[in-house]
Amino acid sequence: MRNSMLIAIRELKERIGSRSFLLFSTLGPLIVLGFVYLMFAFGGQSKQHWNVLVADPTGIMENKMMVNDDKSISYAFANDYIEMEEFADAKKYQLYDALLEVNEKVLSNKVGFVFFRESPSIRMQTRVQYQFERRLEELMVKEFTSLSLKDFRKIKQPLSVNFRDVYDPYNESSDLSGWVGMFYGGVIFTFIFLFGITIMRSVSREKSNRIVEVLLASVSPNQLMIGKIVGVGLSALLQFVVWVVVIGVGLYFMRETLFPDMLNAANMNIHDLTLQVDSQSYQDTAFASREYNQFVELVYNRVQFVNMTVFFMLFFISGYLFYGALFAAVGATMGSESDGQQFVIPLIVLLCLALYGGYYSLNYPESPMVDVLHYLPFTSPVVVMVKLAQGYYGPGHVYEIYLSLLALISSACLMLGLASRLYKNGILQFGHRVRLKHIFKWLKKS
Amino acid sequence: MNFMLEVKNISKSFFRKEALSEISLRVNKGEIFGLLGPNGAGKTTLIRVINRIVEQDSGSIRFDGDLMTENHLSQIGYLPEERGLYKNMTVEGHAVFLGKLRGLSRKDAHIKVDYWFDRFGINDWRKKRIEELSKGMAQKVQFICAVLHEPKFLILDEPFSGFDPINVDLIKQELIEMRAAGKTVMLSTHNMKSVEEICDRAVLIHNSKKIAEGTISELQNARKTGLYAVRFRGSMIAFVNALWTGFEVHDKDILGDDRFIVRVKMRGDSSFEDLLKVLIGQVKIEAAWEVLPTMDNIFIDLVQPKESE
Repeated sequence: MRNSMLIAIRELKERIGSRSFLLFSTLGPLIVLGFVYLMFAFGGQSKQHWNVLVADPTGIMENKMMVNDDKSISYAFANDYIEMEEFADAKKYQLYDALLEVNEKVLSNKVGFVFFRESPSIRMQTRVQYQFERRLEELMVKEFTSLSLKDFRKIKQPLSVNFRDVYDPYNESSDLSGWVGMFYGGVIFTFIFLFGITIMRSVSREKSNRIVEVLLASVSPNQLMIGKIVGVGLSALLQFVVWVVVIGVGLYFMRETLFPDMLNAANMNIHDLTLQVDSQSYQDTAFASREYNQFVELVYNRVQFVNMTVFFMLFFISGYLFYGALFAAVGATMGSESDGQQFVIPLIVLLCLALYGGYYSLNYPESPMVDVLHYLPFTSPVVVMVKLAQGYYGPGHVYEIYLSLLALISSACLMLGLASRLYKNGILQFGHRVRLKHIFKWLKKS
Repeated sequence: MNFMLEVKNISKSFFRKEALSEISLRVNKGEIFGLLGPNGAGKTTLIRVINRIVEQDSGSIRFDGDLMTENHLSQIGYLPEERGLYKNMTVEGHAVFLGKLRGLSRKDAHIKVDYWFDRFGINDWRKKRIEELSKGMAQKVQFICAVLHEPKFLILDEPFSGFDPINVDLIKQELIEMRAAGKTVMLSTHNMKSVEEICDRAVLIHNSKKIAEGTISELQNARKTGLYAVRFRGSMIAFVNALWTGFEVHDKDILGDDRFIVRVKMRGDSSFEDLLKVLIGQVKIEAAWEVLPTMDNIFIDLVQPKESE
């Protein structure tokens, strides 16, 4: 253990002292921040004005909405049933951004649906919900009570308005949250690959300059391999922490300076907001905020960073151990440093497959193939991140993420066991041609 | 128990190629022991087995009386033949790192580094990166790394390669001092002159088998040819006439200025003393000695016939 730690610390010091580490630690997060800023600034500003078609077959709304005009929303009324598909595709409805469906029982069930073409900002959702609810309140007071509108509002129950994408009403296809998961998975694999290659090159360099024989006279091959994987892994973690801090500070700075309204806690919850909006002045204040594009909302409101980061760390560490052992074994079996080139190609293919697995699960989260990829150690870190970001692990599915983690940890242990055999038997072989029969023989030898 | 190391029936094969076959040897405490053999004989494999870098297929090793375990490794210093250093580490950092791996505390490692750097006069190199060192300088650092933790038993595989004669002498003197301090040294080398000079005993391995073992004089005596050499000043004719029938001139070297070295073979019961008696008064004897085979001769004698078989 002591020797493994000494090896790990030496590796860590060497990595930290290298120029590439410093460059990747500083430029990497700054590039990501720059990219995020560009998305915030130019990435499809949400519409400032919405045309909403109100489908009111029973004429409950009496072709009216709020008394006071809202310049950001225009309502049109159709006293007919309009199917979602029809609204999505029919030419005559294309000028409307959303369809507000008013069912005939809305006064009793208090449920409404808004089908949108392009994901609305939270403020836009709030406006529609607020205006719809206020109009219903007027109607309810008129229809069922002798109360004044003010008294009624004291005893009212909230209205449930569901916003749904007309092209993807059940939110099955890829969405921005899923892409955040893909980003996390991508970061996992980028780090694993970069640092895996570092392990492989470090092992083969020690072989070629023969320092390994000096080391092996003091430490066992297993201690050496573990020390190397841990040391390089610690440098990867350190770099990740630097990334998190720089990106976190950068996002905070952007929120403070470039997107200050996001600081308003009231803006975070649509239902709370609707309940609190009682006065016109509050409404004006809240709605006067600038409309931000969906990326801003995604980053500051929708992504559960804490949850994602916890599982990111767990899957990153387990995935790193799995791949790190594989890379160390490959480095130990190589006959010369130049052999590494030919090994890199299949490893890149493996990496691409893993990323494709993530992309596939982004598009087809419910497919049986994704169920398999979800548990495969080669792909699970990225697939799980995507599904986690998509909010897949709700009640009844939570166990799946732990099962996947368990499968990955077990595979990492197995891989470490196999890699230690290859490492032990291959580390002192120099200048040979790598043959499968040698690898199998080394695997058989304890 | 006077053995520092006892190797018993060690065998090792790699992919059906036998590297060591039933090798047994004993290294006494406080001696410099030569491990000799041609390239590919199995010396490095044996050293790796002793260092537990590779595992033997069969046989056992006892270290200082106990069955050897991983715990004994901290009492061994090892300088491999194909040695390397981390090129981007500093000289001091490298030495401290390897010292700590051999069980020294950080503080002790620094104390030892100070001592050895002073002793070898390389204090100026401390902060230099290994990649800035010449081959000879790197060799010195490697030697220091091997002895830094003051091991009881030191294994050196070709320690003189890459050194100039001054540094070869420096290392030899270090080894002799270590022996005087009670340390045991196993020396694998092709430099037979060094073996004759500093080794107490030696073993010769060839084709994965042990073919000879003993003290240096035992090995030489076993292969002596009965020749005696005389260095004298005078007439060669007078020398030959004096020999009469009890001796036979084997060969001669002319040194010039009427000086010769003549090797003589005894006939019948003639002895070295008889030879000196007949020569005194005939020529001016400067020196006379029994001709023993050099370790080079012994090595070639033992290895070459087997290669031609």
